[in-house]
Amino acid sequence: MVVALGFSMAIMISIPSGIMSNQTATQRLTENYNELITNMQEEINATLTLIECSPSSGFAFGPMPGGSESGSYLDESIVSYIESIQGVKDVVPLLEKSEGTSQTMERFGRTFTFLRPDYTIIGVPLNSSLIDNYSILPTNITEGRNLREGDSEVVLLSLNNTEYFGVEVGDTVNILGSDFTVVGVHGASGFREGMMLYMNISDAQKITDLEGKISRLDVYAEDQSYVDGIASTIESNYPELSATTASERLSQFQNMQAMSQNTLQNAEATISQTQTTAFQEIVIAVAATSLIVLFTMLYTVRERTKEIGILKAIGFSNWNVMSQFMFEGILLSLMAGVVGIAIGIVGAPVLSSLLLPHISMFGTQRGPGSFQGYTNPEAAGSQVATAALDPQLMLLAFGVAALLGALGSLYPAWRASRTSPMEALKYE
Amino acid sequence: MSEMVLKTEKLDKVFKLGGRQVRALSDVNLQVKKGDFISIMGPSGSGKTTLLNMLGCLDKPTYGKVILDGVDVTKVPEKRLFKTRKYKVGFIFQTFNLMPYLNAVENVELPMDGTKKSGDEKRKRARELLKVVGLSEREEHKPHRLSAGEQQRVAIARALANNPAIVLADEPTGNLDSKTGYEIVRLLGKLSTDQGTTIIMVTHDSHMASCAGRMLFLSDGRLLAKERQGTHLMKDALKCPNCGKDTQPDDKYCPGCGKKL
Repeated sequence: MVVALGFSMAIMISIPSGIMSNQTATQRLTENYNELITNMQEEINATLTLIECSPSSGFAFGPMPGGSESGSYLDESIVSYIESIQGVKDVVPLLEKSEGTSQTMERFGRTFTFLRPDYTIIGVPLNSSLIDNYSILPTNITEGRNLREGDSEVVLLSLNNTEYFGVEVGDTVNILGSDFTVVGVHGASGFREGMMLYMNISDAQKITDLEGKISRLDVYAEDQSYVDGIASTIESNYPELSATTASERLSQFQNMQAMSQNTLQNAEATISQTQTTAFQEIVIAVAATSLIVLFTMLYTVRERTKEIGILKAIGFSNWNVMSQFMFEGILLSLMAGVVGIAIGIVGAPVLSSLLLPHISMFGTQRGPGSFQGYTNPEAAGSQVATAALDPQLMLLAFGVAALLGALGSLYPAWRASRTSPMEALKYE
Repeated sequence: MSEMVLKTEKLDKVFKLGGRQVRALSDVNLQVKKGDFISIMGPSGSGKTTLLNMLGCLDKPTYGKVILDGVDVTKVPEKRLFKTRKYKVGFIFQTFNLMPYLNAVENVELPMDGTKKSGDEKRKRARELLKVVGLSEREEHKPHRLSAGEQQRVAIARALANNPAIVLADEPTGNLDSKTGYEIVRLLGKLSTDQGTTIIMVTHDSHMASCAGRMLFLSDGRLLAKERQGTHLMKDALKCPNCGKDTQPDDKYCPGCGKKL
């Protein structure tokens, strides 16, 4: 009896815990999506008119050291030509060169050579019309100041760089044989951005022996309508250049937005379905618990009719009898509550997964890499699985147990109290 | 002249059985003095138990008064009647009706629940009463470990717990063999003579009934005019018939001559 009661109690406990964890998971998912979308939106809005041009021969991770170097850099003269294309507003030439140690690695029976960078020099044209209008320089300066127009023989380091060189703001640092004054530190981290140090492009060209060379161009159009025309003009005149427009990123973003909204809608639908189901199940569990208490106590009262008669004959009041049976009903319920919590602790994940519909937000939909990184389906998934019981819920369960015990034994206790002692004494 | 503890006036009780009216009691006038030991005899269905229920405030008469300790209990509202039952009446049943999950002393304490007595006082009183009925050695025993006679003694002790005005015994020897039954009746008689307990015993056993001070006869709900003085041999009964020495109710052998009683 107590075990049966315990089970219905366990159901009552498990369901809210399941719902709570489902909601937490969905909430986290929603927050992640919103953050992702905001970030992407900002990035795309800022770069809608941007065409990135780089030598198509180079690998994605930049010019390789050694022999391939000459082919990886462009002549600075290209800038003035591209500036003359109709619709081009500004051209930002950039020189990027990583310095580090060359390493070889054996894989699949072949030898790969790659550069393990210690730092990456970014040469930027320090022209206020460019650096003020476009996001060329890092924005999060943690110490000192950013680079500005006319700066020369100064450098902006990353936090990583300051450790590598062992310098701080105001110090002089020697880079490839030339001295630079550290004017500031930027807070970018990560494998690529964390390596970057910024200086005037002419300084960069000088110390890397790449006078008159640049590694890539950021081309800004007058407005979005010129972007495709400019890109095709560049690619037809300079086959060695590959021009990437924002439109690819835009369509990718739009896809992702649609997809994430779809997923969130699914999740919300599931949650509301879950809540409906849970509500029904809780109502059933509550009803079952009260009914079990009711019938148990009715049976007990019937079973002990004679005892009630005796008690009343020797002077127990109606209230004495009633409170006696109420007390027993509540005690029974509380015992069931203990059993229920025990079952709940062990079985809450199983029970809630049995009783509640699953959140199917990670089913067939798979986003691009960055999308997965943001949502981390494993983390959210395990959150759903471990519907944990928190102490508050247990306390609540005890309260509910007592309440249901009182509720279920109210009628039997009342009946007991109204038993006529004369009739009850005849009962065998 | 002892004071009157119980008096009934023109007590009538009519039951309705399947649309037919059955008159269970008819014009019962009874007067009981303090310390009386009365037996009421009558065949089955004569209204013995009905009368006892009226006297014990378990049932209300259709007509008439029951004046218990100076109060007409038929006028006490149902809600307060439990107090009358608690403090004025002690019940002894044919089937003993002890609580099986309580031991002897706890059973005796039961009627004192909800009185002003402290736990220690209740325990002290219960022990005293068990001593009176000769069960001091059996205080911690649960009913199932007691003999039928011992169970009835516990029930008698329980009936006396709140020192009631009357003790009502409904066939107290009905479930006992004649020897044990006789011991129980002797005990009741002793309580009446020694402690001044007023006892009304219903029985259909004339031998048991004749041990009481007064024998009343009930027939078809009427108290018959003939009333016999019971042999009331309690004092004599407590003496050994062989040597005449005083014996205790629970003595199986005479402490004087050693003969079986």
